Amino acid sequence: MGWAWLILLLATYPWLFAADLASDFTASSGLVIFISGACIVAPCRRLRRWQSVPFAACVGFLFEARRPIPDGALALFLAGAAIFLTSDKQLIRNTPRMLRAAAASNAAACLIWFTFAAGAAGQLGGAKFFSFIPQLIIPVVLAAVTGVVIYIPVSLVQNAAMDRMGIPPASEGPESP
Amino acid sequence: MKDVPDNRVLPSTPIERLRLHAVFFFFFTGFIYVAFGLGYRQLLQSNDLKDLSDTQSRRVILRPPARGQIIDRNGYVLVDNRTRWSVKADLASLQKEFRAEYSKKYQAEKAREPLHIDREKLLEDAKRDVLQAWLNKVWFVIDETNKTSKTYKAPPRHAGLSTPNERNINIEELRKHLRERRPLPYTLVSDLAFPGTGQALTPNEGTKSVARFIEQFPVDGPIRLDSDIIRTYPHGTLAAHVLGYVKDTDELPPNVDEIADFKFENLQKLRYTGKKGATGIEKSYDSSLRGLSGWELWTKTSAGYNQTRLQASESEQGSNVPLSLDYRIQKAAEDALAKIKDSQGALLPGAAVMIDVNTGEILALASQPSFDPNRLADRVSTAYYQEVEKTGGWLNRSIQGLYPPGSTFKVITAIAGMRNKVVDWDDILQCGPSYRMGGRDFPEHIPEGYGDVNLEVMLAVSCNVWNYQVGERLGIDRLAREARRFGLDVPLLSKSGDSEDGEMGGRSTELPSPASRGLVVPDSAYKLRINQGPWNPGDTANTAIGQGYLLTSPLHMACVAASIARGETRTTPTIIHDPRRDGRHQGAEPIGLNDAQMAAMREGMLRCVEEGTAKSVRIPKLPYAAKTGTAEYFKKGEKAHLAWMIGYAPADNPAVAFCVLVEGQFDTSTWGGKTAGPVAKEMLQAWADTARDPAEQAVEPAAR
Amino acid sequence: MDQNRQGARASYIALTIFVAIWILLPSAVRRFNREAFSEFQAPALHLAGKGRDLAKFWELKSRSNEEMAAAGRDLARINAALELKLKSMDDVRRENVRLRDITRYKDTADYLSVVARVATRDSSSWWQRIVIRKGRNDGIRPGSPVIFGITVVGRVTAVHLTTSEVDLVTSPSFRCTAYLEGDEQNRIVLVNGMAGNSLGSARARISVIPYDYFQPAGQTTQVFTTGMGGVFPSRLLLGTLESGPLSAKEANFKEGQLIPARDLYNLQEVSVLVPLHQTPGEALLQTDQLQ
Repeated sequence: MGWAWLILLLATYPWLFAADLASDFTASSGLVIFISGACIVAPCRRLRRWQSVPFAACVGFLFEARRPIPDGALALFLAGAAIFLTSDKQLIRNTPRMLRAAAASNAAACLIWFTFAAGAAGQLGGAKFFSFIPQLIIPVVLAAVTGVVIYIPVSLVQNAAMDRMGIPPASEGPESP
Repeated sequence: MKDVPDNRVLPSTPIERLRLHAVFFFFFTGFIYVAFGLGYRQLLQSNDLKDLSDTQSRRVILRPPARGQIIDRNGYVLVDNRTRWSVKADLASLQKEFRAEYSKKYQAEKAREPLHIDREKLLEDAKRDVLQAWLNKVWFVIDETNKTSKTYKAPPRHAGLSTPNERNINIEELRKHLRERRPLPYTLVSDLAFPGTGQALTPNEGTKSVARFIEQFPVDGPIRLDSDIIRTYPHGTLAAHVLGYVKDTDELPPNVDEIADFKFENLQKLRYTGKKGATGIEKSYDSSLRGLSGWELWTKTSAGYNQTRLQASESEQGSNVPLSLDYRIQKAAEDALAKIKDSQGALLPGAAVMIDVNTGEILALASQPSFDPNRLADRVSTAYYQEVEKTGGWLNRSIQGLYPPGSTFKVITAIAGMRNKVVDWDDILQCGPSYRMGGRDFPEHIPEGYGDVNLEVMLAVSCNVWNYQVGERLGIDRLAREARRFGLDVPLLSKSGDSEDGEMGGRSTELPSPASRGLVVPDSAYKLRINQGPWNPGDTANTAIGQGYLLTSPLHMACVAASIARGETRTTPTIIHDPRRDGRHQGAEPIGLNDAQMAAMREGMLRCVEEGTAKSVRIPKLPYAAKTGTAEYFKKGEKAHLAWMIGYAPADNPAVAFCVLVEGQFDTSTWGGKTAGPVAKEMLQAWADTARDPAEQAVEPAAR
Repeated sequence: MDQNRQGARASYIALTIFVAIWILLPSAVRRFNREAFSEFQAPALHLAGKGRDLAKFWELKSRSNEEMAAAGRDLARINAALELKLKSMDDVRRENVRLRDITRYKDTADYLSVVARVATRDSSSWWQRIVIRKGRNDGIRPGSPVIFGITVVGRVTAVHLTTSEVDLVTSPSFRCTAYLEGDEQNRIVLVNGMAGNSLGSARARISVIPYDYFQPAGQTTQVFTTGMGGVFPSRLLLGTLESGPLSAKEANFKEGQLIPARDLYNLQEVSVLVPLHQTPGEALLQTDQLQ
């Protein structure tokens, strides 16, 4: 199943798009509903590494494409996160750990895009840095919460898609040496 | 890996134990030393060190304030400040581009000549090239949009230089900037609204350039738009001698000591170059106009760029200076002067003054040729300096020019004669074609002579022989005393009240350096003083008609006219408007003539306009009194004629007095009434218009 | 497990190498990549926009006939008034053409107006933008001004095949010159979007207000475009100057805040003014990648 990650991406896209539509509603308050970081957790459990990395990168690129963020900043971070998650599956072995990973991954990815976007807008230098820090907190906290909330429905869809493609389920128990 | 149990952790032999203790001791003392040192530094020296680090990591930037406006008596703005938009490159954010360009150059150089690579030069070239590329882009936008404008002229490409200076990065300037002002942005185009390519840009077009840059350049690029305030003279050369211009100064502002409670003297101070008055009112009232500097306290990076602004204070604009000039009369005077040309069509130098008879406030003070202070507001180009120098435009002829007053002096001769009772208003003197004094024949200015002449006729036709006779009866000392009574040897325009600005010599004046030393009222001892032999009657004859050694300025003669109009001896002129000014003049006393004599004086000067030498410039509905004069003097070693005219208006109820002087040529084309008259006429008409239309005063009132 | 760890190390190394390559890649490749992902999402954006239109349609469908009749009546009234205005405008237009003819006035700013529906909005502390459902296929070019009625909405920043991104007036990357109402001397001021704080409403900053400018008391001051920068036509409304004292950030100038003329987040439709001729700003962008 070489193209499994691509099909999975198509299955994930409606969620990403729904997040964009949600951002549309919150636009007047300047908030972006960000779920890209949470979307890579479930595939990382079951896909092979070489599949989860392009999947994560594409999720990142989809977010970047419509926003003035330096090219590749988010995508490459998500690719790195995918490598990290696939190489230590202990971290996403059971549901609490998966939720924790979703929150962490989403918040970290949000931190990355927010910081890079601020840098691209020239808002990081000098005194501006001090107004940047408080602004950073709200989206990051929001991203952590959104990551947990959105993870379950997204992973249900993603798991269903992976089941259809016959990708073996991940082992729930502790990994044998 | 195989584990080998090692039990010999602790030393067992005495030698080893000793060694261990030595090592312990060594480290222990070392530790104590370090701990004490640290404590000392932290607890005792910390304040000093903090100060040291503050001085090393902070700097103060001083921002020059906006200068006050100079306005005319009706509030019309003569000197203002305008927004100057300049395009500046933020060198700190260009670092990346500099490095990229440098490494590109370095590679190229290494391939060409690997042994001797001048890294300094390469780095400098890289910086220049990067900045040049940006400058080209700025010009691209300006040029491209200019092309659509109606007044667009293609920039001169073949005329001498292929590209004008302002389109190239000047490597010397860049070097200086990097050395002295590294943290401040580097200026690419200093005045975007008037970039100065020689294109005829109107202010409107100039503003377009700014708008183009704002809307068409990327917002967050390293090239920024900076705005500051510079001096602008909206009327160009108008009253340039009075207003003066400003020049750059690196002096610290006077309020630098009080601006904050920091130890500023220890901190590095950086400032945008300030301005101070160079001449004119800008100089003599500099301390009022200057305002108070603002300042900013910044931390700096190790490379010397600004990092964070810690504190700041705003600058405070200087106060306005209201001049007594009336814009409309000044303009009329200058326009009229500008019309006076010689036979070749070259401009003749001249001066015109109008003062308020009662208050002594100067309504117009014009001098021709002039200069455009706008071209000196930013930086003085040597070429322009020399251009003005060549025309003689730096000299304010109305207050600094020294000339023999010619026939206009005859009013003083007449007054001296009547006061000393050597002649009366109705005495008729026989005036032939010439008069013999001291063994020389002194001619009349018409060959046939005037025959029977009384005071009125003398003033109307400017008869010389009448004055020779009166001068002879008076003698030089009584004549000189009368001239001194009218203050012809007294410097004018001294500042009242406190005197913190002005001349270095202690005497403070309203305008820089009015004539003070060259004024000459000769008496019998004068020639001996200047080693030209004893005084002889011929010199008296010359003095009686305002020739010879007599030297005075147009402003002095205007004051004489005002004094006579009021029936007093002195007029204290001033260039500053004060609505509450009282008409008292320093040293003034009644002129000392009876009513009949005064009436005859007025009648004579009135007849001068109605039927005499100034007939050609009479104004139908405005009878005014005047006295013309044509003097001979030496201009750069050559004989030349001076055309004079003094007077006051209206004749029956004097309100203003005037004096016009034109440096003519030595031919018959320059005559007092004919040459100087039109200027006086224009001035009087302008005054009449302003007096008739008080409602229309303040055509464009000051903005604030 | 060891094998997995080693594989991970190899993957990290590969990722690092890839990042290095990515940074060194020509910007064209990165732009292509961005463009591709953008186009991938375009149909969804269209669909969302259409969906919204449909929702609106059904919402209107559900109104009662009485309501519709009342709305129709109101519209007819407005229509009549506008028609009258249009007639008088016709005269003015003819006069204008005649005068331009006499003075040989060269009209430099000719625009083609393209009406576009808004697909989605997106905003954060660092950008304020909307996506419209018209793109390169409809002749839209980057840098074109975007308006609604006579109010300025923003400027086109990126153009894709069938969609375009518009930076709103409140976006930090938006900058233009403006006149303040009541300033007879028509001195230009600068309008620059401000990054609003999260949860705060976005504003724009008006700077370089001359020191001697004072707001007319008791009324709102409108802010207009100057038409001098060659991008925006003149006399378009940008918004109003926030009342209250203006702060003096820099010596000699004052600063104020702009309240946008419209609720920029509730726009359904905008028009893009595409210049008929290439502007120097566009040429500049083409000759060189400025950023």
